[in-house]
Amino acid sequence: MGDLPRFSDVSDPLEWVVSRVRPGRRSKAVASRWGYRPYMVERYLNILGSWAEVGRLLQSFELSVSPSVRCNTLKVRDCGLLVERLERLGFEVKPIEWAEHCFEVVGGVNTVSTLGATHEFLIGMYYLYRGRASLLPPLTLSPVAGERVCDLAAAPGGKATHMAQLMRNEGVLLACDVSRSRMRALRSNVERLGIRNAVLLRIDGRIVPDIFPSHFDRVLLDAPCSGEGLIMLDPSRKVKTSMRDLVRMHELQVELLNAALDSVRPGGLVLYSTCSIAPEEDEFVIAEVVERREDVRVERVDAPLRLSEGVEEYFGLELPDYVRLCVRVWPHIHGMEGFFMCLLRRVD
Amino acid sequence: MRMCAGIRCSFEDTAQFMEGVVARLFGEDTVKVFEGFSLLVCRGEFAEAYLLRGEVADLVKGLLGSGRVPYAAGLYVGRLRKSRPTFVPSVDFLSFLYSGLGGFRRALVVGERGLKPFLYGKDVLKASVLECFEPLSKGEVVGIVGEDGFVYGVGLSVIDSCRGIEGLRNVDVVAENVFDVGWYLRGGTEARERKFKV
Repeated sequence: MGDLPRFSDVSDPLEWVVSRVRPGRRSKAVASRWGYRPYMVERYLNILGSWAEVGRLLQSFELSVSPSVRCNTLKVRDCGLLVERLERLGFEVKPIEWAEHCFEVVGGVNTVSTLGATHEFLIGMYYLYRGRASLLPPLTLSPVAGERVCDLAAAPGGKATHMAQLMRNEGVLLACDVSRSRMRALRSNVERLGIRNAVLLRIDGRIVPDIFPSHFDRVLLDAPCSGEGLIMLDPSRKVKTSMRDLVRMHELQVELLNAALDSVRPGGLVLYSTCSIAPEEDEFVIAEVVERREDVRVERVDAPLRLSEGVEEYFGLELPDYVRLCVRVWPHIHGMEGFFMCLLRRVD
Repeated sequence: MRMCAGIRCSFEDTAQFMEGVVARLFGEDTVKVFEGFSLLVCRGEFAEAYLLRGEVADLVKGLLGSGRVPYAAGLYVGRLRKSRPTFVPSVDFLSFLYSGLGGFRRALVVGERGLKPFLYGKDVLKASVLECFEPLSKGEVVGIVGEDGFVYGVGLSVIDSCRGIEGLRNVDVVAENVFDVGWYLRGGTEARERKFKV
């Protein structure tokens, strides 16, 4: 890759890529067959390197994903009791090996709407996920009791309540979101699950460091994104997002990640995650921020299961080495929604 | 005191609330369950109270100092009102209280058949009451508990003591529905809940 232009050599790397994404005839044909925008397929080919693998990815987006539940140990002492109750209701569950207290609902009346209406759900015995990938960020950031933690885009609260559970309701968790309607969902989940160490704040996450500069031990930024990893859950995402939308999203993500880094104390950790497989929202955000700051370092992600490395080269542009330390969840490799995570440490 | 979008939040006298409101309803020994907490009250359309422990209280103080108010914080205690019932506890507050006391107080244990309609917003009928825990007072709140020991909601008692159940018919209401956890599914603010605004 030595001859490729480097990220730091290009004045606007994202525009550089945008101008080079030109779907070929085959990309257009494949996109038409599967119902995608052609630029998306062209990008998948560029990242994955072969049509065979692109085919496997597109096929995996057609498969359904089993819902999962996280037993809420803040309310349930023995998760076996929850399993018994769910089985009595006709659900078939199996433990997720890499996520303690979490179960995949593999059989029975396993619709998300049914699982979201049981007495067990209403009294907060579990949190319901449409897939499994959302379990990864809290387990990777791994906050512990007594820490100061912030979730910069928290609603509806799956990851925030998971972190509160890992913290055993001790320490403090600032859970922020900018949306009024999503804030109500966040509050419902926090109350239902018996979270008592959280402060809920309706705020644009970009303002948080103005109030709490260098304050938190750990910050999670599960950034607003195109959701390009969730096509199996929402097929409308095959056509929803344009390249220009991605550029706008990227700008917001960069601002939010800078806010996350300004909110964490020196030595503290920030986990950046998205439910997108778009490098524009993932590696490009990391590189854009890290290249412009001297107080941040990318750390190796110690994820609870083996994941793929970050994308190092994209449309002929060489990204910095450290993006390899970021991890990707590929639907066709890992059997769950597409996801991205990168762990950053603020240094003095 | 800080005000934001019509909501004012301030730390208030925890002991006064515990002794004047919680102990009056649930007994003097309940005060010890909440040792170490600070009381935050946010007043807007409703007056809502929260109990906060050390780090959580410190963060909220920082927030108030910056001119902002939290959307919610710590343990949601419930709503404070000027008229009876002067205190409508949250489900989480009752769960915390019962867990701290190691038993139920001012509560009705309701069977599965009665729980289902309750979770759709219906009142609790005598036929579905399996156990009753004193004290009860007419027009005051009562915890609605399932056979599994979980708190499913809050009612308003129509009787003055557990003995009052005996004089009722099976179809008579024992507790009116104030809040039930089915709200988490139904969403919105139900008309019945709005009745308990300040």
